[in-house]
Amino acid sequence: MTTTLPPSSAPTDPDRPASFSGTHVLGEPGQIDADGVCAWFGGRIVLESVDLVMEKSKVTALIGPSGCGKSTFLRILNRMHEVVPGAQLAGSVELDGVDIYGPGQRAMETRRHIGMVFQKPNPFPAMTIAENVLAGLKFSRISPANKSDLIEESLTKGGLWNEVKDRLGELGGALSGGQQQRLCIARSLAVKPRVLLMDEPCSALDPTSTLRIEQTIKEIADEVTVVIVTHNMQQAQRVSDYCAFFLAEENQPGRVIESGRTEMIFGEPTDQRTFDYVNGQFG
Amino acid sequence: MTTQTAPEGILVTTTSASTQTPPAARPPVTERSADGGSGSGTGSYEPPTPPRPRRLPSPIRPSAFGAEDVFLLVASAFSALCLVWIVFYQLTSLSGGLGFLVAWYFTFLALVWLGTTQLIERQVATDRVVGVVVVSAALLVIGLVLFIVVWVAYKALPSIHWVALFTKDQKNFQVADPNALSQVGILHAIVGTVEQVLIAVAIGVPFAVATAIYLNEVKGFGSRTVRTVVTAMSGTPSVVAGIFIYSMLILTGVLHYSGFAASLALVVILLPSVTRVVEEVLRVVPSGLREASQALGAPEWRTVWSVVLPTARSGVVTAVLLGIARIVGETAPLLFTAFGSQVMNLNAFSHDQASLPLVIWSDVRQAQPVLIDLAFQAAFVLMTLVLILFVLARIFSRPRGRKSGKRRGGNRPAEDDFMARIFVPIPIEESTDR
Repeated sequence: MTTTLPPSSAPTDPDRPASFSGTHVLGEPGQIDADGVCAWFGGRIVLESVDLVMEKSKVTALIGPSGCGKSTFLRILNRMHEVVPGAQLAGSVELDGVDIYGPGQRAMETRRHIGMVFQKPNPFPAMTIAENVLAGLKFSRISPANKSDLIEESLTKGGLWNEVKDRLGELGGALSGGQQQRLCIARSLAVKPRVLLMDEPCSALDPTSTLRIEQTIKEIADEVTVVIVTHNMQQAQRVSDYCAFFLAEENQPGRVIESGRTEMIFGEPTDQRTFDYVNGQFG
Repeated sequence: MTTQTAPEGILVTTTSASTQTPPAARPPVTERSADGGSGSGTGSYEPPTPPRPRRLPSPIRPSAFGAEDVFLLVASAFSALCLVWIVFYQLTSLSGGLGFLVAWYFTFLALVWLGTTQLIERQVATDRVVGVVVVSAALLVIGLVLFIVVWVAYKALPSIHWVALFTKDQKNFQVADPNALSQVGILHAIVGTVEQVLIAVAIGVPFAVATAIYLNEVKGFGSRTVRTVVTAMSGTPSVVAGIFIYSMLILTGVLHYSGFAASLALVVILLPSVTRVVEEVLRVVPSGLREASQALGAPEWRTVWSVVLPTARSGVVTAVLLGIARIVGETAPLLFTAFGSQVMNLNAFSHDQASLPLVIWSDVRQAQPVLIDLAFQAAFVLMTLVLILFVLARIFSRPRGRKSGKRRGGNRPAEDDFMARIFVPIPIEESTDR
């Protein structure tokens, strides 16, 4: 069944409380269950019946060749998919048992619980480093009890504190590419999400910055569930606990071919196509 | 780090060697030698000669201009002058300064081409002729602007009476008074212009920015139609804007002649031009920023207010300043709305009000030389005002944080490119119907 989504600007019901806030505590890692997720762009199906569980406090890597729907799937997980004009989807995505596409769920609220880091570092250029970190709270009109503590905490988690602690008043664009990406991670962590989605966070960065970000991912995994899309097999092996291999065969929508523990996917995959991909035979 | 073979055949790094050369001579290397190469190279080396730029063979670009090239140009210009003079006035009985000038210019180009072909080669000649055409076009434009400015200043400044100009209006004007310029001024016009423009900006800019946001951020129903309408509206002759307000509001008795009515007519002109520039500025804000904002849980209005507009802030300010510069010199819409006045009227909401363009328009057609002088002085003040606005626009269009010089490194081409695109000098169209 295809769910046609309302446009993102449609007014949401203000009386109905967002279900997450009541039942869950911000800052606790959450588990995502995707069930029968399909996706369309302009009537063309790009992703078909994906069932995947992203375990609490673990790092799940989504791997696969370009155009197999990994990023689309990732964007479905925090309702960024529906921002694209002509995008539709089916199936359900549950965060700790609550369907994020259920009636009365607000996209804004969902995105606060399921944060996202993009491929290209995108700190807000008109804001300082400190303002960038606090941006998410400002958007939600939450003023934290102690701003400087929160800035330090978030930047420390993002692995950036020592480099920028003396220049918090500088503009976010003044940082190097790798630092900008870690600032974006810190910005996402400042709202204390339960899940952090990362869409090829290192593809625009050099190896040293990549290493720093991978360290950061490992460090934050206790507090937040991480789902990462990557084209880099070594990176998937280094950072992830679980792995899901996506593949779109010719003229077919993307599907999950195999998923499981990372050692298993890379060590003894059951599917020949997975074996070929992780060993660099194609893709 | 380059290596060199020293006379003894030992490989020495040049960085270690550079510790003994004066640091001032080789600034980039001394910094590195401090942490890197102090261990190797134990003294047996020759001080390396500092690098020099290499001489490139046969420069053909127009920038590589030598004395003989200048001579060739001057000679071509002079011979063209002689040739055209002979043809024009001796061989044929043509006349007319403009025709002479055009004929001279093309003869000059032909001679430049011929001369360069003979002295260097054909390709260089073509290159040079194109160069001459481009440079002379630029010079012509600069020359025209300078001519207008200098001419107005020349007409205005000799008779100017600064104090009276900025403190008096025209009610004490007496035809017979030889010292009349010390009795009249344009304060009433300056006050009128400032009030009318400020009201127009206060009404027009919020609408313009909101329209631009609708077109580019909301992309709501009918935004293509709105964009077409805005584009068409920017082509509206300004006199039509005046007639519109006149027939809709003044003839119907809603308003009387007043500065406010003039402001409304100016809004009609301001709105499309500011909308279009702001829309362009919003368009170059990277969409990644909007996504990042939404992914943090920001509603759409928050994204626009806290991320898109601040990012485009200086572009928006520039758009507003250029919009002001656009309307401050408008005359036609004021004719039937503010109507003009010889005396000071501080209240923009009632009675006729003067403005700088109106004073210029009415005074320059008078028979009294004093009033003609006053008109030129008003024109001079108006030009200065526009110049100040343009300078302000340039200052505001400089990206924030650049001047502090604290930006580290230079490895952000993508972002710099985006900044450069946001802050391109924005073309403004001048209205032709004054």
